[in-house]
Amino acid sequence: MFLTVFIYLSIIAFVGLSLYKAYQFSKMPMHGRWELYPVPKEPDGKGHYGGSYYEDLEWWNKPRRVSYVGELVDMAKEMLFIKNLFVNQRRQWWICYAMHLGIYLLVLWAVMLLVGAITILSGGAVAADAGSWGALVYYVTFLSGAAGAILLAVGSIGMYLKRSFSETLNKYTTPLEYFNLFFLFVVALSGIIVWAGDIGFNYGREIMVALLTFSPIQADLALTVHILLLGAVMIYIPQTKMSHYVGKYFAFHKVLWENEPNLRNSKMERIVKEALSYKPKASWSAPHINPGAAAKKD
Amino acid sequence: MKPQDFGKPSEQLFKLDKLMPLPAPYDKPGMEPDFKELRDSWKEGYCSTLDGFVGNDTLVRPKTKEEEDEMVKKFLSGLEKLFSDETNRVYLQPLALSFEYCAKCNTCSEACHVFKASGGVEAYRPIFRSEVLRSIYRKHKQGGSLISRFIGGDIDINYETVMRLGELAYRCNLCRRCAQTCPLGLDNGLLTREIRKIFSMEMGIAPKPLHESGTVKQLETGSSTGITKEAFMDLIEFMEEDIEERTGKKYKVPVDKKGADILLVHNAGEYMAWPENPAAFTIIFEEAGLDWTLSSDMIGYDNVNYGLFYDDAQGRKIGAAQLKAAKELGVRRIVQAECGHAHKASLVSMDRIMVGEDNIPRESFLPLLADLIKKNVFKLDPTRNNFPVTLHDPCNMARMMGIIKPQREILKAIAPQFREMTPHGVNNYCCGGGSGFAIMNSFNFTDFRNKVSSRMKFKQILEAFQDSIEDVETPKYVVAPCSNCKGAIRDILAYYQATAKFNVHYGGLVELVVNAMVDLDKPFLEFLLDDEDMMF
Ligand code: SF4
Ligand code: SF4
Repeated sequence: MFLTVFIYLSIIAFVGLSLYKAYQFSKMPMHGRWELYPVPKEPDGKGHYGGSYYEDLEWWNKPRRVSYVGELVDMAKEMLFIKNLFVNQRRQWWICYAMHLGIYLLVLWAVMLLVGAITILSGGAVAADAGSWGALVYYVTFLSGAAGAILLAVGSIGMYLKRSFSETLNKYTTPLEYFNLFFLFVVALSGIIVWAGDIGFNYGREIMVALLTFSPIQADLALTVHILLLGAVMIYIPQTKMSHYVGKYFAFHKVLWENEPNLRNSKMERIVKEALSYKPKASWSAPHINPGAAAKKD
Repeated sequence: MKPQDFGKPSEQLFKLDKLMPLPAPYDKPGMEPDFKELRDSWKEGYCSTLDGFVGNDTLVRPKTKEEEDEMVKKFLSGLEKLFSDETNRVYLQPLALSFEYCAKCNTCSEACHVFKASGGVEAYRPIFRSEVLRSIYRKHKQGGSLISRFIGGDIDINYETVMRLGELAYRCNLCRRCAQTCPLGLDNGLLTREIRKIFSMEMGIAPKPLHESGTVKQLETGSSTGITKEAFMDLIEFMEEDIEERTGKKYKVPVDKKGADILLVHNAGEYMAWPENPAAFTIIFEEAGLDWTLSSDMIGYDNVNYGLFYDDAQGRKIGAAQLKAAKELGVRRIVQAECGHAHKASLVSMDRIMVGEDNIPRESFLPLLADLIKKNVFKLDPTRNNFPVTLHDPCNMARMMGIIKPQREILKAIAPQFREMTPHGVNNYCCGGGSGFAIMNSFNFTDFRNKVSSRMKFKQILEAFQDSIEDVETPKYVVAPCSNCKGAIRDILAYYQATAKFNVHYGGLVELVVNAMVDLDKPFLEFLLDDEDMMF
């Protein structure tokens, strides 16, 4: 039963801590404008060449229009394919993307395990020869799990090695950052070891069934170690900068692409008003900022 | 060199010895001056131990152990204030993101013109500066423990580290090209600015041209040029005479016209260094019949706001005062003339400090001018500008505000031989004068600007004119619609003698527009006057 509870705990920790991180960023005070073009949500093709409403005469008199589709498309390109790295650093992209794609596929794999477990609990079967649905679930689980685990293992150790051998990158890599990559590799490797004993991931579906029915998980040593490592990494990730899935959203959406003018009677104006009413309790010390304090010191 | 070496004692951390090569005709030896020798007095009094340049002329070397300790202490207290939501409310969120998430993928380095132009000097890599800051912060927080070393806090925090960081913060143009390429949306330019802030807002250390003779003087006298109201009125009178002399046309420049539609604001440096620019604006606005005015009010005539580069408090004070001056004049809108950082400071940064009636609408002159040209308000003959023209996009207007198209529409209408630089628009390179460099002339800092930070721009200019660069009969014109950029480009053209040797000129956009006006019987651009017969 310990493993069942542990898995639940690690899932809750992963989601909870990630949300907490997002909450911390979102409750920070209103920030000064710091856009960077191109801003994809600018409509009428402006998003493509980097244009903005400041190109329009008397822009404040024009209706404010935003292309959410443009923003979504660009966000998706960045999130799914790490577009900026692809465009600017192709050689590093391959290995970095392998690792990320591995993670995405493993998320799909976990969803498929859940689908498989639900199928089993509702009386169906999941296997290569279990009818069209059972076979579909079986193969998608198999392919995403196999490719995901291999890509994650190759990607994480590949990045580890690339960082240690590149003279430039190793100057900037802290021991913690090496540890993070190695941790991911070890988790992937332990998964591959377990998988080697049950190619069809039946153990995975059994775990999902156990989770859904809240019953104990049958695990040998290798599986126990893998579950412990996987749970640990899930609790660990949101507390490190590997939580950049949270940071990236805020960096792009809330800072670089915010681009919201403070128009009269707008929501932004209300936010600005509120921010202006705040009286900070502390201040900086340079003489031109705080002449009183400087004089007192003298 | 590694970030950890930053505080190690040495006379100079590194030397610049393999700068990026320049294209023809500057690819031959002897075409560019060498770096100036570093004087002993600079070494003794300031921080020359980074790269041998001294840019920050108030960053004075401490003389006693107590002063050294005090410097470190103050720096660390400033560092803490960056992360407090009491003292750094406006930048806390962007800072925390850029500080926390860097994946050290190094994508940003390739985008940085300073790094590339220097021939790849490690310390100019955008993440170097940021990593030094992170390392100091971690060590400071964790006190050099095992954990601190594990998470990257393994740097000596001594006064030398602090001094060098104070210089290194002025080796970046804050152009934010690096941030454009970051897969995580992080911003080394912002982190650099935050370092400048610690020095200015906590330690009272900022280059004199930005602070003492910049924002402080502007708040005291209305402008960093120190022009008084009387002197301003004289300048306007002089400008009216000058316009008459140049064009044969008499205009009365409207000053302090209450309730005008437009308050036009210039970078006050223009009146002194490039009076033809406000003159061209006058001609355009008068010919278009606009209801406009200049302000002679303290702080109402100078759109400069150097606070943008180094100090939030100064930026805010100046921005607020400028908007107040416009409000008192009762104008409907403010139009920013050719000054990039004034565009950003006024339209963007100050957009978060004013509400309701105080929030006077502000816009760039570019869409206004493009609109007038589109409506055929002026009779223009583009063949008057029939020589190679290229355009520099000021970072503040392009990358930070998204103003790309109007300047191109204007140029297409008036310059038949217009050609783009590569890259341009939102992906442009900084002129090398950004973030205050254009006005920082202390010690040997101009060498850094001309040979390193402006190098990429000079390369781009040469490349844009490769077809005619060695044809000395053909004048070539670089349009720089920003006072700071214009200053930086003026300096590189002079430094490399590109005007004298290869007939390369520079100036604003409005001058080129006026030069195309058919009503004028003489060219408006001075360099065309000698060659008048040839051109017309
Ligand atoms: S591109 Fe972004 S994530 Fe990569 S090293 Fe530069 S700042 Fe860090
Ligand atoms: S802001 Fe510009 S100059 Fe500074 S590091 Fe980034 S690219 Fe280089």
